[in-house]
Amino acid sequence: MRVVIAEDNVLLSTGLELLLNRVGFEIAAIVDDGAGFLAAVRDHRPDVTIVDVRLPPSFRDEGIRAALQARREHPGLPVLVLSQYVEQQYAAELLSTTGGGVGYLLKDRVSRVDEFVDALRRVAAGGTAMDPEVIAQLVQRAGDPIAALTPREREVLALMAQGHDNGTIAGQLVITDNAVHKHIGNIFAKLGLAVSDSGHRRVLAVLTYLNTAGQFDGR
Amino acid sequence: MRRSGGYLLVSLASGIATVLALPLLCVPRLARLWADWHHDRATRLLGTPMASRPAPRAAGRRAWAGPSTGRDLLWLPVNAITGVAFGLTALLCVGNLLPAAVATALWWAFEPEDRPRPFVDVPVTGWATALTLGPLQIILLTTLAYLCFPMMARVHARICLAVLSHSTAEQLADRVAVLTRTRADVLDAHGAELRRIERDLHDGTQARLVAIAMRLAVARQVLSDNPRNEQFLAELLRDAHEGTEEAMTELRGVIRTVYPPILADRGLVGALTAVTARCGVPTRLNIGDIERVPAAVEAVVYFAVAEALTNVTRHSRATTASVRVSRAADRLSVVVTDNGTGGADDRLGTGLAGIRGRVLALDGTVEIDSPAGGPTTITMELLCGS
Repeated sequence: MRVVIAEDNVLLSTGLELLLNRVGFEIAAIVDDGAGFLAAVRDHRPDVTIVDVRLPPSFRDEGIRAALQARREHPGLPVLVLSQYVEQQYAAELLSTTGGGVGYLLKDRVSRVDEFVDALRRVAAGGTAMDPEVIAQLVQRAGDPIAALTPREREVLALMAQGHDNGTIAGQLVITDNAVHKHIGNIFAKLGLAVSDSGHRRVLAVLTYLNTAGQFDGR
Repeated sequence: MRRSGGYLLVSLASGIATVLALPLLCVPRLARLWADWHHDRATRLLGTPMASRPAPRAAGRRAWAGPSTGRDLLWLPVNAITGVAFGLTALLCVGNLLPAAVATALWWAFEPEDRPRPFVDVPVTGWATALTLGPLQIILLTTLAYLCFPMMARVHARICLAVLSHSTAEQLADRVAVLTRTRADVLDAHGAELRRIERDLHDGTQARLVAIAMRLAVARQVLSDNPRNEQFLAELLRDAHEGTEEAMTELRGVIRTVYPPILADRGLVGALTAVTARCGVPTRLNIGDIERVPAAVEAVVYFAVAEALTNVTRHSRATTASVRVSRAADRLSVVVTDNGTGGADDRLGTGLAGIRGRVLALDGTVEIDSPAGGPTTITMELLCGS
């Protein structure tokens, strides 16, 4: 699987290269700014991309803007955004672009190699990988309807929103697939969502719900 | 002309009132209110800025002390004399317009000895004198009023301000005192902030790194042991790994309190958009054209709004909130309101005290209006320099 990485900090980009090479990814290019990223995506047509939020020249949110731009130019391009901090606003912006996998993770998560690689593969396959902190922000904000869920249902909701499938959720919570299925049914019923299939659309439904819950109708 | 005329007539009334209520007005607090009222109307008439009056509350507490009470009392006789003198002139001027009009039109209706006598004592003898003297008096009085009323009103207002305002030297001394105090506060707050960051890094991140380094060092030794304790090695590496994750989480927390990354990335507007979108209570953000704002002010506004909205979510039981940011000249004003149950108090939580501390440290002001039953409004004003 071929990867393009946009990361200006050499320590981190070489670390990522080392780690990804070891688990069988091919690094097509490592670039250090937004323009370079867009060019590399055009040249290499990677299977998945990894973008740091802060890039030169201004070290503000170039990475997010480059990622959004790349997804507009190449609909369906899988993008995993890494950052030293997470901001629900950025997650909402990334999710607003349609088609293809999207991920948004804290850089800290890279050190959990298995989970990170799993997230990267999920994004490459068109899935979603949202940082637990983003989900925590969203869940906290969504308020009342979420409060109606049981603690276990909230755990399932969080994992589902992060982009995990039923099997992984069952494994992480040490419960059966059947129990996960039942919890998900209850969650969708309590939140008033239409039951969707177990793929990316389900995640989007949950994230969209969390993202819009408690906001003004006009927004 | 009408405005100055009104001013002069009110001055007359207040001059007479001063004489009548003299014993009452010698009470310092009433003298202060009386003086304040005159000072305000004089300032409004002259259109000069209102800043030159010494703070009434500070002086009110030490009733007889300070030079301002002396000024207030001095104003009583000055007001009585100038108010009556200027006001009476104006009254006579206006008051003689009516007799002149009557003299012109209705002179014939009076008995000869009762006929109006314009120009103090010139008798009206027929239409000829009536039609010349009457209009002439009206024209003269009106011209006089137009020319002299504004001038007289301004002179009265200036005398009022001269008596009641601080001298330039006193104003400067006041300002220096305020600046000295706020500068000391700023330095204190700044120092406290540096100490907090130092403590967070020292006790948190640095200690964790030391612990990680120790585990890794032990792990290297264990590697060369014979036989090697694999389980112990795995434990050491796991602890070191988890330690780095905790260190990163802590460091992220410290960075957030030093300068929020979203502020660096998106500026104040973007950061406030994010913080209001994140709020548990639906929050409307209304932000005008605020131009460039110093980084320190941006950070304080961000923290204050974030803290205020946290309070809204946790304590207010509000269903909506709003954040309004606007700028007039070098003054940035931030208003956070909610429709909750009110009763917010500085002394009950550290949140509001924290907001106050941060804003005061930049020489700003904070006003918290939160009656029991709500709603709550927090108003902050900060200077953006120039």
